[in-house]
This record gives sequence, C-alpha cells and structure tokens, in this order.
Amino acid sequence: MFLSPSLSSSDHVMLLRPFSTFRRALLSSSLSNTPRTLGSFASHSTKTTLMASISTASTEKGASSTDQEPQKQQQQPPARPLQVAKRLEKFKTTIFTQMSMLAIKHGAVNLGQGFPNFDGPNFVKEAAIQAIREGKNQYARGYGVPDFNSAIVARFGKDTGLEVDPEKEVTVTSGCTEAIAATILGLINPGDEVILFAPFYDSYEATLSMAGAKIKCITLRPPDFSVPVDELKSAISKNTRAVLINTPHNPTGKMFTREELELIAALCIENDVLVFTDEVYDKLAFEAEHISMASLPGMYERTVTMNSLGKTFSLTGWKIGWAIAPEHLTWGVRQAHSFLTFATSTPMQWAAAAALRAPDSYYVELKRDYMAKKAILVEGLKAVGFVVYPSSGTYFVVVDHTPFGLENDVAFCEYLIKEVGVVAIPTSVFYLNPEEGKNLVRFTFCKDEDTLKAAVQRMKQRLRKI
Amino acid sequence: MEAKLSRISRTLTPSPIQELSHLAQRCGAINLAEGFPDFSAPPHVKEAAISAINADLNQYRHVQGICDLLAATMRQNYGLDINPLTDVVICCGQSEAFAAAIFAAINQGDEVLLFDPAYETYESCIALAGGIPVYVPLDPPYWTLNVDKLMKSFTSRTKAVVLNSPHNPTGKVFSKEELQAIAGACCKMDCFAITDEVYEYITFDMQKHISIATLPGMQERTVITSSLSKTFSVTGWRIGWACAPASIASAIRSIHVKITDSAPAPFQEAAVTALQSPPAYFKFLKAEYEAKRDFVVQMLSSLGFQIRFKPQGSVFVFAELPENWLLSDVMGA
Repeated sequence: MFLSPSLSSSDHVMLLRPFSTFRRALLSSSLSNTPRTLGSFASHSTKTTLMASISTASTEKGASSTDQEPQKQQQQPPARPLQVAKRLEKFKTTIFTQMSMLAIKHGAVNLGQGFPNFDGPNFVKEAAIQAIREGKNQYARGYGVPDFNSAIVARFGKDTGLEVDPEKEVTVTSGCTEAIAATILGLINPGDEVILFAPFYDSYEATLSMAGAKIKCITLRPPDFSVPVDELKSAISKNTRAVLINTPHNPTGKMFTREELELIAALCIENDVLVFTDEVYDKLAFEAEHISMASLPGMYERTVTMNSLGKTFSLTGWKIGWAIAPEHLTWGVRQAHSFLTFATSTPMQWAAAAALRAPDSYYVELKRDYMAKKAILVEGLKAVGFVVYPSSGTYFVVVDHTPFGLENDVAFCEYLIKEVGVVAIPTSVFYLNPEEGKNLVRFTFCKDEDTLKAAVQRMKQRLRKI
Repeated sequence: MEAKLSRISRTLTPSPIQELSHLAQRCGAINLAEGFPDFSAPPHVKEAAISAINADLNQYRHVQGICDLLAATMRQNYGLDINPLTDVVICCGQSEAFAAAIFAAINQGDEVLLFDPAYETYESCIALAGGIPVYVPLDPPYWTLNVDKLMKSFTSRTKAVVLNSPHNPTGKVFSKEELQAIAGACCKMDCFAITDEVYEYITFDMQKHISIATLPGMQERTVITSSLSKTFSVTGWRIGWACAPASIASAIRSIHVKITDSAPAPFQEAAVTALQSPPAYFKFLKAEYEAKRDFVVQMLSSLGFQIRFKPQGSVFVFAELPENWLLSDVMGA
C-alpha cells in the first residue's frame, strides 16, 4: 500500500522519494502544532522506594542470571549532566529483578517468573531449524512473512469465526510486548485518555506513559475480580480514546465474561472508543470459554486483538507476536512497528506458521497438562493455608497471604524466599496504587510437575504463621 | 475511524524501500535495492542457532556472553573500555537499539541532527518520540562534512547527533578529521551522539572504521548501536545492541524492556558463537564485499551510470541516473 489514508493519489509520486524535502515538510508541519501535553506522571512513592535500590530494569520475564551493578557515577562527569528523557522518570527497575536475584541466592523454587521451565513442541523447533538451514535468515516483510500471516488468519477464523485479510489486517511483531508498544505508540496521542484494569501486566502502564496517555484505572477486586459496572460507566466518556483488556487475565486468571465484554462493547460503541485486547493466554482457558472482543457485534472495526506464540507453544524467548485489526487501525500499528523493530525474526515466523497449523489435539493436550499442574499447585496452596482465588485461565493463581501475618506482599515474598525457599511475585507491582495489591501474591504453575511438587512440599514443611 | 490514528502515525509514510522490495518480488526483478544478502549466513553461526533450539534455550533470556564478547572486541578493535555488566543492552536488531536510544534520550521538541542523505528510518523514529529531525547536508560529490553547515544547525534545543558510518546510502566512511569536528561540536553543545555502526566490518581500500566514542570527551555522551545482521548475513535474526555509559544504558534498557522485553533467545546464543569468529572470517567478509563493490561499480559505469564517489564501506553504491533517463529515481527503479 503506497498511500496513507489521508492523502490522495496525486501525492503518490512525491511520497516515494526517500530523501526528498517533501517528507520533511510533511513531518515538520505536523509538528508545529499546539503544544501537546504529556500524560500525567502520577507519583508512586512505594514503588520508587522499592526500586531505588536496583539500577537495572527487567520485567517478570526474567532477569539476567548475573547481577547488574548500579553505577551512579560516570567515569568523566560532564559539565552539565546529560539528561535522559523525562518519560523515563517512571521507569525504574522492577520487583522481578529483585526477586530473581534473591531466589538465586537462596536456591528457591521459582514460581514467580511467568515462563515455563519446559520446552516447546519438537515439530515447531524442527520447523525453525529447517528454516535456518534453508537460508530463511534475511529480513522478513515488515508486517510478516506471508505464510505466517495466513496461518494467523486461519487460526483466528477458527477461534472467532471472523474472516480477516492477512495482507491488510495483520501485523507481526517481536512478541506481544511489541504489539502492545506498536499499538499504543501508533494509535494513542499524548493526552489521550486510556482505561486500564488493575492489576495489569507491567508493560501497559509504562508504554502508555511513553505515549503520553492519561491513564484511568479501574480496579478488579477479589474474590472474583469482576468488572465494577458503575465505576466503568462513570470512567468511560466521549473523552476516552481506548480501553485495554487482558483476557485471560495476568495476574488473576480471571476471564472476562460475555456479559462483561458486552457491557464494555456497548459503552465503547456509544462513546466511540477503541479496544486493545491482549489475548496471549487464550489457549490456556480452563474454567470458561475464551471470548475475543473483536467477535462481538460492532466491535471488529474498533478493536486491536493481540496475541503471541510464546505461551501457547512454550517458546517465550522466540518473540513472535501479532496484532489483528481493521485496515485503518493496522495502519497505525504498522507505522510504529516499522520504526520500533522494522521486521520480526524470520526463521521463527516460518516455524510459527507450522505451530498455528497444529491440530486441535495439541491444544487439548496443552490444556490437560496445565490443568494437572494447576491442581497440584492449588491443592498445595489451599492445604498450607492461603486463601486461593479461583483462576479460570492463564497459568497464574493469586492468593491472599495475610493468614501468615506479614505486613504486605513484598515482605511476604521475601519471607517466602528466605525461609521457605519458594518464589512468588508480590502483586502490588501490577497496580497503579500499590496499596491495593498488598494482600495478594501471584504463583505460576508453568513448571514441570516435579518442580511444583517440590514447591508445595517446601511450603508444607516450612511455611508458618508469623 | 481514521481520526482515531495518532497524529504521528498519520504523518508517517510507508517505507519506499520496502515498497520497492515488494514490487521487485511481484515482478521477479533482481533486488539490488534493499540491503540484505542473498547468500548464506556462515555455517558455524547457523549451527549455533540450531544447537540452541535443540538445547531448549527457547525461553526469555538475556545472554550475558554477548556483552562480554562485545566488551572484548571493542577494546581490541577500537581501544574502548566498556563495562559488560552495565553498558550493553541486547535488542531486537539495531533498529530497536536505535529506537530505544532515541526514546531514552529525546523529549518532546528536542532537535536531533541527521546527515543528509540518511537511512529513512531515523527521522521517523525521532518524530515518533516527539523529537524534531534537523538535516545537515553532506556535500556532494564526495559527501564530505561541511563543518560550517554542521555548526549552524545546532540550536539550544539540539539534543543529539545521529552518526551512521560506514554510511548508508553513500558508502562513505567518515574520516578522523570529520569525526573530530562532530565530536568537538557534540562536546561544546553538550549533546548525545547516537551512532549506527552496522557496517563496521565492511570497509574497503584500507579504510578503517573509527568509533566516535573513542574520541576525547565522547564516550560519556555516545550511544553506539550495531548488530549481527550485516556482519554475519543474518538480517532476519534481529540481534543488535546499544552500548553506552551505565546510566544511559540503563535508560535504554528500561525502554527496550517495554518495547520487546528481549531479543530472540536462540539467536542470542548463536551471537556468542558469531562474535567469537576468528579474524580470518572478518578478513574474508571484507574481501568478498570489496570484490562485489568493484564488480558493481564497474558494471554500473559501463551501463552509463555516473559513480562519482566509489564506496569506502557499507553495501551500497550511490549512482547517478544516466543522462538520458527520463523517469525520477523511484519511478525508474
């Protein structure tokens, strides 16, 4: 596609001059507009004190196995210290680094990190190896290898009944993390209002801040983390640009019900709001049916549906994700994507195409295996005295740790690592207001059964009320 | 619904280079436009990736070995002393390293100097971050740096200078004197230098690539970005890096972690093997590309293209359309 939606065909020739002054004029004229306001940077005093001690950044996906030392002084301090961008004020290190370091130090069983300690299926790995051997190692088409785009569309069609154009409505990205970044940077203006449900996966807030968005947060509360209808109705208005939904939900395991999605849909249609959905755990739906917002009446045209290979196929390090959206929204996603990473890993895309063509039996077996793992963990957590909240999907479970008498989630997790030898993640990091998460911690069961049993055993033997 | 697009994405246009590649594919044309090889990646590097996949190294990873090796090669090649524990950020290609560096350094309204002609992605990336790209033309026919024009381009809002050497699209390798001038300006105006050195191993005729970070006063303000792609003919693997002083690297890491979180795991492992390639490999790479350069320059000249400046590095040659060519550069492509 040669033309941006807002330009006519007479601009066609001039647009294709890579080094012309025309493009620069286009850019500079759009930039000499009224001053944009950056999004509000709410202060999170608890978070920053927590993170001040570590200077490296990592998400829950795993810190490096070697420590990264903080270095506050450069070797030759400049006269006026170079300032990094203001947008980074909110970005400090995360709790995951701290927990991972502690875990290694104490030899703890790690049920904190959100990635498996077992590997992906051989047929997918073989497909990647074949692609490498066949020389598929150069730049893929920016928005995806055609065969992979087709496979994505076929799978999406099977799951939702929606027919989507692989050439115009699919963008392949380096993981769902990049799909989220590209969607937000491509479709959100500074100052736009975006609604988030807390607790939320940690990159959402950070990326929205990068885009200068104004975040409105709605908290989902135990025991069932259902959407508070009145709060939602008062939060959404004509000023809302987008709502971000993660279902099945990390960290709670909640799955948005049809009623909840229909309510959100109605409000979005009424107020002309976009919806961005993160559905990476869609195949890990155990107690309920996974529903894609895009499949609801009137919603496809305003929804970006994001997903990835990693969780479904236990290949989290391959970084293969995608965004499905109608053409006019895909435009924005693709633009941002092309300047964030340009293209996505080629051999892995070929392998991912093979993966997405897996027979239904693969998914049946995947669910069965995970449900067995979940049973081990949940039974164990209940037996030792946690209040365990029901998790319908994902490979996470959140529990209330307060029966053990520690003051908050971070303190509990530190105690759990040091005295019991098990890692969980304090959920306060998933909230805009950390106070709201202090009673909860998150365990993962994406580990082999022996690991889960070992963790349960340690908790049974050593976990005591303080 | 078009009104829903962000302001910035509406001003960005699709990559003409990518468009031409798609057109080439559709017409069965030989693609000498987009910068990626049609020959294989070296076997030892491919095998390393395959081994990694088989060894179950497929979950989220940060492979510290890459940082250690980069520190060693930078010391050896450029005399640069970097801390592998804090100064290196592994990204999905130099593309992401550059994007993360820009987002880490550039605030709304900051100006960034670019040398014209420039790789098309830089300005869009800067604009996406709210920055203002400012072009400093290089003087044809040899694309020399005009120090006067450079100095006049600085304002109180200039935050960074982007330096791509060896240079895409001209094939120029910035000389020591030119780098000194740029370095002097960066120090005087207290700016970042963000470099793109992806063609660092592809220089010809005894030209040596110099990393501007090695010049006095520069290491503390330079972000070096580079990747495996061009050196090891694996443009589709997306393994790149940013090197900078610890506090700046930390900022870049923070951004990177929100954009993609990590680079593809098996290819990170393969990078460790690649970066340990013997000196013979790099000699061979250079020799091969130099031979190709000579061939292409000769071939184009014989067809009537004017090549005033023989490339000193990179994989590109800038050729003037023959006099009797009627169409513009893109339409004629």
